[in-house]
Amino acid sequence: MAGRALWKGFIQFADENIPVKLHVAVREERIQFHLLHKRDNVRLRQLMVCALDKKPVPAEEQIKGFELEEGRYIIIDPAELEHLDPAESRQIEVHEFVQSELIDPVYFERGYYLEPDSSATACTALSGALTEMNVSGICTWTMRKRTYLGALQARDGVLRLNALRYADEVIPSASLELKKYPISEKELGIAAELINKLTGPFEPEKYSDEHQKKLQSTIDRKARGERIAIIRPKRQKPTEPDKLLQALEASLKKVA
Amino acid sequence: MKSLPKVATGPDQEALHAMWSGTISFSLVAIPVQLVKAVEPGRVSFRMLHKKDYSPLARKMFCPQDETMVPPDEIVRGYEIGPEKYILITDEELESVTPERSRTIEISEFIDLKEVDPIFFEHPYYLVPMKGGEKAYRLLAEVIRQTGKAGLAKFVFSEREYLVAVKSTGEALTLITMHYNSDVATADEFSSGRGEADAHELGRMKKSVKKMMAQFSPEKYADRRREKIVELLGRKVKTSALVEAPAAGEVDSEGPTDLVATLQEIMQKMKQER
Amino acid sequence: MSKTFVEIEGKRLALSNLEKELYPAYGFTKAHVLDYYKRIAGFILPHLKGRALTLKRYPEGVDGEFFFEKRCPSHRPAWVNTAEIIKDDRERINYCVVNDLATLMWVENLASIELHVPLGSAGSPEIADSMVFDLDPGEPADIVHCARVALILRGLLTGLQLASYVKTSGKKGLHLYVPLNNGKTTFDDTKAFSRAVAETMQKNYPELVTAKMAKELRTGRVFINWSQNDSSKTMICIYSLRAREKPYASFPLGWKDLEMLEEQGDAEKFQVIHSDAVERAEKLGDQFHDVLIKKQRLPHL
Repeated sequence: MAGRALWKGFIQFADENIPVKLHVAVREERIQFHLLHKRDNVRLRQLMVCALDKKPVPAEEQIKGFELEEGRYIIIDPAELEHLDPAESRQIEVHEFVQSELIDPVYFERGYYLEPDSSATACTALSGALTEMNVSGICTWTMRKRTYLGALQARDGVLRLNALRYADEVIPSASLELKKYPISEKELGIAAELINKLTGPFEPEKYSDEHQKKLQSTIDRKARGERIAIIRPKRQKPTEPDKLLQALEASLKKVA
Repeated sequence: MKSLPKVATGPDQEALHAMWSGTISFSLVAIPVQLVKAVEPGRVSFRMLHKKDYSPLARKMFCPQDETMVPPDEIVRGYEIGPEKYILITDEELESVTPERSRTIEISEFIDLKEVDPIFFEHPYYLVPMKGGEKAYRLLAEVIRQTGKAGLAKFVFSEREYLVAVKSTGEALTLITMHYNSDVATADEFSSGRGEADAHELGRMKKSVKKMMAQFSPEKYADRRREKIVELLGRKVKTSALVEAPAAGEVDSEGPTDLVATLQEIMQKMKQER
Repeated sequence: MSKTFVEIEGKRLALSNLEKELYPAYGFTKAHVLDYYKRIAGFILPHLKGRALTLKRYPEGVDGEFFFEKRCPSHRPAWVNTAEIIKDDRERINYCVVNDLATLMWVENLASIELHVPLGSAGSPEIADSMVFDLDPGEPADIVHCARVALILRGLLTGLQLASYVKTSGKKGLHLYVPLNNGKTTFDDTKAFSRAVAETMQKNYPELVTAKMAKELRTGRVFINWSQNDSSKTMICIYSLRAREKPYASFPLGWKDLEMLEEQGDAEKFQVIHSDAVERAEKLGDQFHDVLIKKQRLPHL
């Protein structure tokens, strides 16, 4: 899989300048469906249609606008946007290091693996340092006309660049305005015990996309002319607040 | 001229619209919840407009054979098994594939989130309790917060089955979808900086890192390109006129001149009489 | 599910869930809603007759989810009249048409608390029977401000020799109707005309009136929504109940009454609750009767 790299850059901080190659870490293959016209099963195409004359509009008659208020726009020329493209750079600039556990998982957007591009010694040393100290390097870089914020990390001896979301893209949990409900120490205690009994090591290999497999089987069966049984998803009955303690105790008994 | 509306200042209340509703359960406790957005992309979004009159454009499905636009009730879903040969799958058949997981997030075990390689995280959502489930939700959120663990579950959402981690963020429960192990390239595939690091190099590296230690404050970093776009828009607002899309069936905005003049005349008379 | 069978004018109808609370805070059940519509039938039916009805159904009451229904439910009794309307030469929708009491009761049994009708008839949907000025107050402006605007508008229309009539929306605004009933005026005509009037109003009373839809421009002003003059738009039918905490109705107000209410300045006093609606209608008759029969033409077009 370690074929051609997506991008090449230099990790830069203090006196270090470490050349690396960036690889995509995740590739997904899913069953794809197409949208068809009911009456003749012809594959549909997506077109941009004008709201006024209801006819499709070809690309050369389309322009970009920013809607400032309802129905009124500021027109943007593609050249103006291109002008704003960040300058080409190969620097992955590390600004600071933070304790890795302080980065809330909500921030992680996309991960890339880094491979040494020429000398491996610097990468090995960096990897070792990050691992031993349990830290991540907060860095910024420019790739394919976009500027990224990321966390440089090491795991299993391999360096990664994890692109992060910007702070203002994360909706604060306080905005959900969740009410504080009083819960008894007893309930908390039993729940904690229950969780501890259900705790195990993280073994990602245990999990696979069973839905994809079942979906493929459904498609195959339908292709053979079999009728597919329709099963309605059942909604579980919620646990009533005054039955909560009971449910917790029963759960604990079941797990023990 | 008013300032630009909330372009890059973060998500707004509309983000709290529920995307899914169902139950989250662990052992014999079931909690009714809704799924809402936890992140909102910050990019400035533009609309595509018709060059000649600035009417907004919308994505519509078009049938190339009949050469017409196709409304949603004439659209079906098909899986390609050969050139122009499809197996149709209805919404109900799709829902019947994994029905037990489409309305329930069943936590099967708990793990220590620190054990999870960040490369697995895909997309976060918040879980919000529905009527009757507030107490149980509060309990689950609190106990997860205190124990520092996260629940693992499988869950079918939007036609896909996800492995998800349920953790706590402040007072809330966050659900994060994860990539499957088989979809993630293994570290083995890359020649890495493995093996023993040179002691001297390692020491030097650690020293540099130590000098640059700080608290994690992501607000320090802004999306520069986004800021530049907002600045550009701000400048354009001051210098160029806004274009207006014509409303469907709208007539000349001057109005029938005869009528407008008469109306103004009557208005004047009325004001004088007051 | 409890069912009661009734016979209305020779038509058999099954009414269900009569105890269902549709206005829980007020204690109004479906039975109460049906009762209201039965009492007001004589006054509301002429305004529903021959018009494509859009139902606004609240199966779980005013606090629950609602949905608009244009297509007449397929499980309707055979005697329910429908009309097919074709839009943009593609979309064909079969609408319910309420021409009699039995159909009105059937519709209300579906918890269609609000009845919305277009300004054209089902037979000729592109002809405007009336021109409307939908007055919508932007907070902190309220119905009292709408009344002020309505009185000025009336003066303007009188100057053009046009008679106009006003009703409450049952919510926070007022609706001013100019009957036409001439079989010729189109929605293009009424839209252009009402727009010119709205813009003149805005020009002369900029602090009170706006003719633009943009939300930021509506704060503290009354928005004259001239774009309601469209074959595809609907208005709340007069005498229809509104889905609010209390069962207020969209009710006509005489001009003298409107003047008095505007002077008093109490927004609450404009609203007419179900029982008052029945009482006043029985005492004064249908004050909107002229909107159905008066023939007028739009000048200067």
